[in-house]
Amino acid sequence: MTSGFEDLLRELAPQVLAALVRRYGNFDTAEDAVQEALLAAAQQWPAGGVPDNPKAWLITVASRRLTDLLRSESARQRRESTWVVPEHYTPAPTADDSLVLLFLCCHPSLSPPSQIALTLRAVGGLTTAEIARAFLVPEATMTRRISRAKQAVKASGVPFGLPADDRLPVVLHVLYLIFNEGYASTAGPSLHRVELSAEAIRLTRMVHRLRPDDAEVAGLLALMLLTDARRPARTGPNGELVPMAEQDRNLWNAKDIAEGVGLVTAALSRGEPGPYQLQAAIAAVHDESPSYAQTDWPQIVGLYELLLRFSDNPVVALNHAVAVAMVDGPLKGLALLDDRLGDDHRLHSVRAHLLEMSGDHAAARASYREAARRATSLPQQRYLNARADRLTD
Amino acid sequence: MKYLILAYGSQRDYDAMSGRPTSGGPTWTPEEFEAMGAYMEKLNGDLAESGELVETRGLTAPVHARRVHQRDGEIVVTDGPYAETQEVLAGYWVVDCDSYDRATEIAQRLMHVPGPKDAYGDAVIDIRPIAESRHEMDL
Repeated sequence: MTSGFEDLLRELAPQVLAALVRRYGNFDTAEDAVQEALLAAAQQWPAGGVPDNPKAWLITVASRRLTDLLRSESARQRRESTWVVPEHYTPAPTADDSLVLLFLCCHPSLSPPSQIALTLRAVGGLTTAEIARAFLVPEATMTRRISRAKQAVKASGVPFGLPADDRLPVVLHVLYLIFNEGYASTAGPSLHRVELSAEAIRLTRMVHRLRPDDAEVAGLLALMLLTDARRPARTGPNGELVPMAEQDRNLWNAKDIAEGVGLVTAALSRGEPGPYQLQAAIAAVHDESPSYAQTDWPQIVGLYELLLRFSDNPVVALNHAVAVAMVDGPLKGLALLDDRLGDDHRLHSVRAHLLEMSGDHAAARASYREAARRATSLPQQRYLNARADRLTD
Repeated sequence: MKYLILAYGSQRDYDAMSGRPTSGGPTWTPEEFEAMGAYMEKLNGDLAESGELVETRGLTAPVHARRVHQRDGEIVVTDGPYAETQEVLAGYWVVDCDSYDRATEIAQRLMHVPGPKDAYGDAVIDIRPIAESRHEMDL
């Protein structure tokens, strides 16, 4: 199969699945039917040419296959179950199937890892093998996870497309987690898994297109763009982590920064900002600053304080402490560190940086070593050990 | 007067029409299916031309059906009727014609649709007059 076909099929797969599920229900079987239709296309199109309307072709083939699969005895037995219609049926306010599919994948009966896996497969069009690779689990494990997720959706009996907007926060959270996994991988040899952050941005763009007036959706997209804009400067030639203070800002993606700043500026003008908008605003202050030293730290402190009102999140508290240190000195920052993140390398890493700023190199070195021990990704470990190595008493 | 003409089929009929071998029943060839479609198109065209056709649709296979019913006072939904169900609605026509007899004539024409031998051995079509208002139903 040529890559041209792959791109086309990947783009069409979620649309075909959404069309099938909207029409016939049966998410789990419909997904199998779509996979088989994609396989048929991959076998037939290279020789026979792409049909005039490839989407209609796939929908027709997948619909036939769905009927076949439902006919089979095993499928029939599985379907001989009853379900209760939820009392408050509200149809999805949009006719866009991709968004409905996204809401379905973020089903409340699923754990976040299952929501993510199902979203990437059904909406993102990634193969099980690709998702397994991205999350560094064996393909069989990811297959089981997706299969269990589909069964859980089925067993919950909540029909397709329900509920609608009250699930939007979960959808945004799943997209945020996908982005973070792509931007700052928690494990493995490489710091970025670009395909995951790119996919998260693509899907968030789609949600934004469908919900242009939702300030938090705009805020999340802005946050992703403003964060991803720094990616080219975030690693050195050997894959090592470069902290923001030392990044070459000329490498930052100016186009993404302009778009992100525009999005968050417009969103903030709409009233009480939510957490994604605040995080995007913080990212925008960083991205627009000519250098680390010239960053508007008091503004960042203020934004973190607003953010802390939404939730007492230890990572936000940690970042707040760093910003306070930049305004009022490292000792003020060190005083704000709390130990709730004791097992997390980030606490030790920040403590090490602040101790280094305060001139206590011996304590800083110990903290860097401690952080390196707890870090799970190799680039982070190498970076932290290198910081420790270069400190002299 | 309006009449609802209901054509029934079974999952087996749908399977046969799709060209799948069925136990004991005929299997349609593409040519036979084509001839059936042409006959239906002609019939519907005639009814449209005479002004008698209000609406007609074929339904998807019974495996895609859902049934809403009550159980112990609770409304439940089931997938089904299941594949073994012999008679399920397969298509319908709403015709607006002079008399019940004319509607019956149209239904009889439907019975003459071409197909493989024995394809319609147990075919059933129902005709129901449509009530134009609640008061007609009260009669």
